[in-house]
Amino acid sequence: MASAGSGDEKAAAAAMITLISSDNEKFEVTEATATLSQTIRHMIEDGCTDGGVPLPNVTSKILARVIEYCKKHATAAAGEEGSSSSFSDAAFLEVDRAFLEELEEFDDAFLEVDRATLFDLILAANYLDIKGLLNLTCQKVADSVKGKTPEQIREMYNIVNDLTPEEEAEIRRETQWAFE
Amino acid sequence: MANQEPPFLVDGETMSIFRSRGIDQQQLESNIESTLAHIHNSIPGPPVSADAHLCILPDSDGGGGVDRVSGLPDALLRDIVSRLPIKDAARTAALSRRWRPIWLSAPLVLADTHLLPAGRDRIPKHVDLAESSAVAAAVSRILAAHPGPFRCIRLACSHMDDGHARVARWLHHLAVKGVHELYLINRQWPFSPTTRHMPATMFSMASLTRLYLGFWRFPDTAGLLRGAAFPHLRELGLCSVVIENSDIDFVLARSPVLKFLCLQGHMHPRLNLRLVSQSLRCVQIHWSDVETIDVVDAPCLERLILCGHWKKKCKGTRIKIGHAPALHLLGYFEPEDHALCIGNTTIKAGTLVNESAMAPSVKILALQVRFGVRNDAKMLPSVFRCFPNVERLHIHSKRTDEPIGKLNFKFWQEAGAIECVKSHISLLIFQDFRGEKSELAFLKFFIESAKMLKNLVIMCAKGCFKSKAEMKSKLQTLVAAKKASKCCLPQVYESAIPEGGCSWNFQIWSDFSHADPFAYPAKF
Repeated sequence: MASAGSGDEKAAAAAMITLISSDNEKFEVTEATATLSQTIRHMIEDGCTDGGVPLPNVTSKILARVIEYCKKHATAAAGEEGSSSSFSDAAFLEVDRAFLEELEEFDDAFLEVDRATLFDLILAANYLDIKGLLNLTCQKVADSVKGKTPEQIREMYNIVNDLTPEEEAEIRRETQWAFE
Repeated sequence: MANQEPPFLVDGETMSIFRSRGIDQQQLESNIESTLAHIHNSIPGPPVSADAHLCILPDSDGGGGVDRVSGLPDALLRDIVSRLPIKDAARTAALSRRWRPIWLSAPLVLADTHLLPAGRDRIPKHVDLAESSAVAAAVSRILAAHPGPFRCIRLACSHMDDGHARVARWLHHLAVKGVHELYLINRQWPFSPTTRHMPATMFSMASLTRLYLGFWRFPDTAGLLRGAAFPHLRELGLCSVVIENSDIDFVLARSPVLKFLCLQGHMHPRLNLRLVSQSLRCVQIHWSDVETIDVVDAPCLERLILCGHWKKKCKGTRIKIGHAPALHLLGYFEPEDHALCIGNTTIKAGTLVNESAMAPSVKILALQVRFGVRNDAKMLPSVFRCFPNVERLHIHSKRTDEPIGKLNFKFWQEAGAIECVKSHISLLIFQDFRGEKSELAFLKFFIESAKMLKNLVIMCAKGCFKSKAEMKSKLQTLVAAKKASKCCLPQVYESAIPEGGCSWNFQIWSDFSHADPFAYPAKF
């Protein structure tokens, strides 16, 4: 079973897909990279990728970053599949672990972006349904909020407080334990 | 001053149980701390952390004053909120009207350690009574206010026996609103007969996927309705829980997808564990008083792991392997404390092992052996013969204060051919090597017989040798031995952990992405 499947996988990995950004820029990527996006995976399965996949919600600047992320993680996924089948070969495990560490470093560096880019990445990851990237970017926002007061968060993200003083007092009363 | 209060109340009954095991009051105090630390280490970490790993957010021009975050769809805001420690999560409701309903509509993630003033992830050893009641009061308000579902509830900081009715209300909320992962770690030894059982409401939590209980008296299942079940429960951990055999049987029978079972610090009553499960993959038993582990019918069981036992007056454990065709990993078998029975054959030194007494599926075997005790070491050839296909062997050499009749090389020569050693073992990790003659006799025999050996790793007991030269001279016989495999010289290291220490890690051992979790974190 394994040998029959791997031939197909190789063929699939070599297939290229064209992604078209909202500003009409074209990106050629391998199918393995593109299918990290569940949205694109479904399009491929439905056979509607001939002539390129238009992504009207994603600019070329953001799409380039998203593809960078997917390329890196598609290689990682391929590595994992390879190693799980060869249980007794210790060398594989070693490579695997080093790779995971490298991947973490890549993710950290990848998130060194300004806020506008971060939110564009979140929306793109959501639209394209790329679970790993969505996790990573949402965690980044969550981490930036930890330990901060509502005032500090509002200031950081330009959130306008449209609660009446009475409403705010009520919320604080209901969740008093959170403000102690 | 408040911190000086004892973390646990110890009643007379509990004390007498411990005394019967040779543990005095002072040891009990330190046991509490180590048990809590063990529990902390055995359960998965909180799903949200108080630490902000990725907290630095480079600022551009501030986005021109635009509020991008509030513009995200509700589902994403809920996702972000459920990644926050509970106080941070609830406070987002006070940001603006947009944010007000988000926390209550996001799946709840609550770790009560985040409600303590220090607000850290780790379960603290000491929680004074005032803090404990403040935490409990907040938990009550949260569980009442939040409509659910509860993704993960992790309570470990309150003295739950003080408010039995309150805990019953918590469990009611959890059952009605739907909880997926529940960790309920009490802070009182549950051994006194006057300790109440935990409410049986737990059995109405049909959505549970992961359940860890600590320091409870398990609900009496005898009177439960026939429909009581955990249809989605995948992982169950019982840490110092008083539970009867019949209750464990009941839980196994009513948990059709249970894959992981962990007993941690089980002390009372002494258990006769009967594993009958079509779904279990991994069973771990740590520091527990178990009389028998009988793998009656467990077709999916791949890992059976025992580690540590309550010292002093504890009696041994009988391990019986019945129908376990997928059993891949077994450890740590200790001839000193364990009796082994495969099929209907009890394995003793010199037992003629026929096919019905073999477990051919086992590929990874871990042993703790006192090579200085003749009866221990004499068991090994029989044990090896029960597992003819072992490929990876882990041996901890245990020290003994009074060596009794050591075995020499001649014993091993006369033991005859051993299938797994001769034809299958490719890795041996030998821990706590001290250079004793009986250890060397075994190792010499091993490398002269093991044709498939690729890696031989010898971890010297920490601080055992004063110099490399001393270590080398001890290993001279091995270097000179006529090796059966073209392999390599032994790789020799000094152990990083003190002798007799066991670097156990429940989460790693249950992690099927580690093909040989006993080798972790080494890379062989």
